[in-house]
Amino acid sequence: MSKTDFLNIVPLFILTSSAILIMFSISVKRNHKMIYVITALSLVADFIYIVQYNAKIKWVIEPLFVFDGFAVFNMGLILMTALAVTMISFAYFEQREERKEEYYILLILATLGACVLVISKHFISLFLGLEILSVSLYSMIAYLRRREKSDEAGLKYLIMAAFSSAFILFGMALVYAQCGSLEFNGIAKYLTGYTQIPILLLTGFGLMIVGIGFKLSLVPFHMWAADVYEGAPAPVTAFIATVSKGGVIVLLVRFFTLINGYQYQSLMLIFTAIAIASMFIGNFLALRQRNVKRILAYSSISHIGYVLVAFLAGGSMGVEAVSFYLVAYFITTVGAFGILSTLSDHDRDADHMEDYQGLLWKRPWTAAILSAMLLSLAGIPLTAGFIGKFYLIAAGVNTDRWLLVSMLALNSAIGLFYYIRIIAVMFERHEGEEERQDVLHPSVYIISGVTMGMLVALLLWVGVYPEWMMSVIRTYVHN
Amino acid sequence: MEKYLWLVPALPFAGALILILGSGKLTKGISGFIGAGSVGLSAAISLVLGLQFLREPATVIQQQLWSWFSVGGLSTNFALHLDALSMVFIFVITFVGFLIHLYSIEFMHDDDGFTRFFAYLNLFVCSMLILVLADNLVLMYLGWEGVGLCSYLLIGFWYKEEKNGYAARKAFIITRVGDTAMAIGLFMLFQTFGTLTIQEILNLAPQRLPMGSETGTIIAFLLLGGAVGKSAQLPLQTWLPDAMAGPSPVSALIHAATMVTAGVYLITRTFPLFELAPLAQNWVGIIGAVTLLIAGFSALTQFDLKRVLAYSTISQIGYMFLALGVGAYSSAIFHFMIHAFFKALLFLGAGAVIMVLHHEHDMFKMGGLKDKLPVIFWTFLIGAGSLAALPFITAGFYSKDQILWMALASEKGNIWFFLAALIGAFVTAIYTFRMVFLTFYGEEKTHVGHPVGALITIPLVILGILSFAAGFIELPHTLGHFTLFSDYMTAVVPATELSPGIESTEWLIQLSAAVLCLAGVGIAYFFYMKRTDLRAELKSSMIVTNRFWYSGWGFDQVYDFVFVKPYVYLSSINKNDIIDAFYKGIVSVSNFFHDAFARTQNGVMRWYIMGIVVGAIFVLSIGLLFQ
Repeated sequence: MSKTDFLNIVPLFILTSSAILIMFSISVKRNHKMIYVITALSLVADFIYIVQYNAKIKWVIEPLFVFDGFAVFNMGLILMTALAVTMISFAYFEQREERKEEYYILLILATLGACVLVISKHFISLFLGLEILSVSLYSMIAYLRRREKSDEAGLKYLIMAAFSSAFILFGMALVYAQCGSLEFNGIAKYLTGYTQIPILLLTGFGLMIVGIGFKLSLVPFHMWAADVYEGAPAPVTAFIATVSKGGVIVLLVRFFTLINGYQYQSLMLIFTAIAIASMFIGNFLALRQRNVKRILAYSSISHIGYVLVAFLAGGSMGVEAVSFYLVAYFITTVGAFGILSTLSDHDRDADHMEDYQGLLWKRPWTAAILSAMLLSLAGIPLTAGFIGKFYLIAAGVNTDRWLLVSMLALNSAIGLFYYIRIIAVMFERHEGEEERQDVLHPSVYIISGVTMGMLVALLLWVGVYPEWMMSVIRTYVHN
Repeated sequence: MEKYLWLVPALPFAGALILILGSGKLTKGISGFIGAGSVGLSAAISLVLGLQFLREPATVIQQQLWSWFSVGGLSTNFALHLDALSMVFIFVITFVGFLIHLYSIEFMHDDDGFTRFFAYLNLFVCSMLILVLADNLVLMYLGWEGVGLCSYLLIGFWYKEEKNGYAARKAFIITRVGDTAMAIGLFMLFQTFGTLTIQEILNLAPQRLPMGSETGTIIAFLLLGGAVGKSAQLPLQTWLPDAMAGPSPVSALIHAATMVTAGVYLITRTFPLFELAPLAQNWVGIIGAVTLLIAGFSALTQFDLKRVLAYSTISQIGYMFLALGVGAYSSAIFHFMIHAFFKALLFLGAGAVIMVLHHEHDMFKMGGLKDKLPVIFWTFLIGAGSLAALPFITAGFYSKDQILWMALASEKGNIWFFLAALIGAFVTAIYTFRMVFLTFYGEEKTHVGHPVGALITIPLVILGILSFAAGFIELPHTLGHFTLFSDYMTAVVPATELSPGIESTEWLIQLSAAVLCLAGVGIAYFFYMKRTDLRAELKSSMIVTNRFWYSGWGFDQVYDFVFVKPYVYLSSINKNDIIDAFYKGIVSVSNFFHDAFARTQNGVMRWYIMGIVVGAIFVLSIGLLFQ
């Protein structure tokens, strides 16, 4: 390993070493606040390190990793999202479990897994990243052991993820059997000789799509999403919805563009069908759902369907649109789950519609922030979600994916209903039930308040002046 | 002083804002003080400005406050434009408005909605001022709609009674017909001129619109439509008599002195457009002439005191339209001002009468108030004299006489206009003194409550003096030839061109008007004082005509038949909106799919795994099929 190799891979070391540091720290003394600070600092440090990368330079560590602008940008995005999740986790766990410190180890390791996914260019690193991520998630989902639903969700995710990993592994084996390579470039090189994908290879890809589709909760591999979202602690749900899915999407984009999947009708057809089904079924399922966490689960199914529109559009604009949409979607989703966490109490998460009734009158600021997040999810102008969706449509139109674009537009209309309904519920007058007292140290609330404030500011800023974010994305992605 | 122009509309607006925000927290004293005080300050500022204009009528004060919006080629400023014409209007609005505010403090004192009343009234004054001060037509339209809204709110002020709500809606909807025409007119103006700034349009008009051009005529007619709606002229006059459901000060301020004359203002303001469309201008005169006649005859048969005044207002505005139609702009504005004084006076007097008689509106149940309420009687008499245009001593004589003369003498006038105006003057005298005799003479029929206080009598006296004396600022050739007002107005509007060689007949016309007026008073005296027994006979011999006039010439019935009934019928057959069915269809399809897919989310693991397996089969089969 050369010195440059090492310098490039430092971000992964920072994460792993901070995980070890936390472990040591716990064995000496359990201190939630300190662990939280270490976590946050290591994520910030990692991000600062990442920013120093030159976006124009592509560095490859054979055979596993590649550091290019696209990877660096998404790594930064993942780290920042993880930081935001950490911020909302603190207040959430402060009032719950006795052993809350180990959560941060898992959080950091899951982030590490996502980062590995983002930079991998080899099936081995891909699978390693995926498993680091998944294994951490099993425990994170079931972290609140005393809650039956949490246990159930963890177990379900464990079984289903293992099942889907089997598909991925078998798919890899078939691909290897055909091409004799586990490396993306090798596969791409093999494919250049063919105008049609050989059957064995196609079967391998198909099985891998099943696994990837599961991780992204695309229809018809989506059914775990609602149960797991509902059972997992709110910050963990935020993490699943953002970081874990983001890493997989980046991987998908990288692999697909490298092998130039756009020329193969079969692959395009599969993804088109999956995208349309995800948009529709996600929205239909959310339509009359009364559980806010489940609504967000279903909404995430359709949102990943939207992202696939730009993914299928391809080209540099498609990649830009995917990146931009991920940014907008991450801000919004973490924001929404952040509000959900702050409203949750010791016994259960605030996931019933009734918990939001009259929120506007009780806690106007909280309600305003949540409204902003929901409007962004719905894609209303002045929010990041609008620009993101606009970008997706622009990318789709650019390469004439009219079917997908029209489905996206139609689904935006359907989706509007359930987002607006939550807002409407917040407006309803709600009598009785006194405002619950703050039980924690005020600094805890300040932390969540500042986090939420920054998220909403970012949301509006990106929504009103998208040019800045666009230029950042262009700088990193165009290589 | 010029730089304080913006305060004129801003003060009432601030007053309205304070009253709205403080509603429920302010005492009646403070509310009244804010309401009347803010308008009083505006009146003081406009008085000072007015003195400056008297010295220098050609002054124009432009004040650009801020840019309102700028879209494409249209950039609209929040800018005020004060010239001799708008000066007359802001003087009347603020000064008469202030007197009416004072009056209202006592009149509305026992009303629960006291603060709300003043808030609306202040908002109205502000909107009306914006209307007449606007430098562009968009801002004017804002004021135009603002006064419409306030009119709606104030007609339905006592909203607990259902019929007041209906009256308010009627006024709002019918004026909306005119407003829509006006809006289309504004669009066409923008298309033709590329601007909506009034002065720019007026300057460009002679170049862009040739004499009698089709576009110009259509625009003028559309503007006339707006004016007709707001000013309750034929065929959109039906809302005004019902608008009397509002409190009397509202009738005095909005439905007599100011808002209903907005149409007169609009036409005078844009008169070059009408000069370029002779057909439209002629129609202004025709509408005025017909309206003044039919409203006058309707007024003859009413027994509700306020409805007499309402029809009389329609009729008097008809005179103003007639004057505008023959190009006598200065005469129209002069009559507007005098009318504002005496009609506000009459409404306030009527309101006071109705108040002391415990909300009795029927004139036939009044009588004998002459000695009980001397101040109200004498001021009312002055107002009535002015309305009937009693020769030589009343202001109304001088303003109306000028219109009669112009109807014949102007180049655009003709004998028919003159005859209509002359007959109208005769009818006016009859119904006015019928009202006076029924209300104040004869025997007392309803018990008189407590007498009225100073806040009611002072405005009456001041308006009485104005109704009497304000006429002397403009005397005809034959009587002293003093032309203060028309000289003043030449700064904005041209003097009327007279037909050649007609001056010599002016004295004849004045004489005939004077004789007819006195004859009208005589007839009223004969039927309502001397031979009251003949009244029933006369009525029964003309019962059909009487009913026809009483109902306002059947316009309501016709509109009901032509518009309301078919509309109600159409909406009744389309009760479950056909177009809605499509959207309902989307809803039920979505719900169906929701239910269908929700059933798959049953929480059972083996089912979920099956989902993945099915998905895998699907993916592989597509891959193989479309390889």
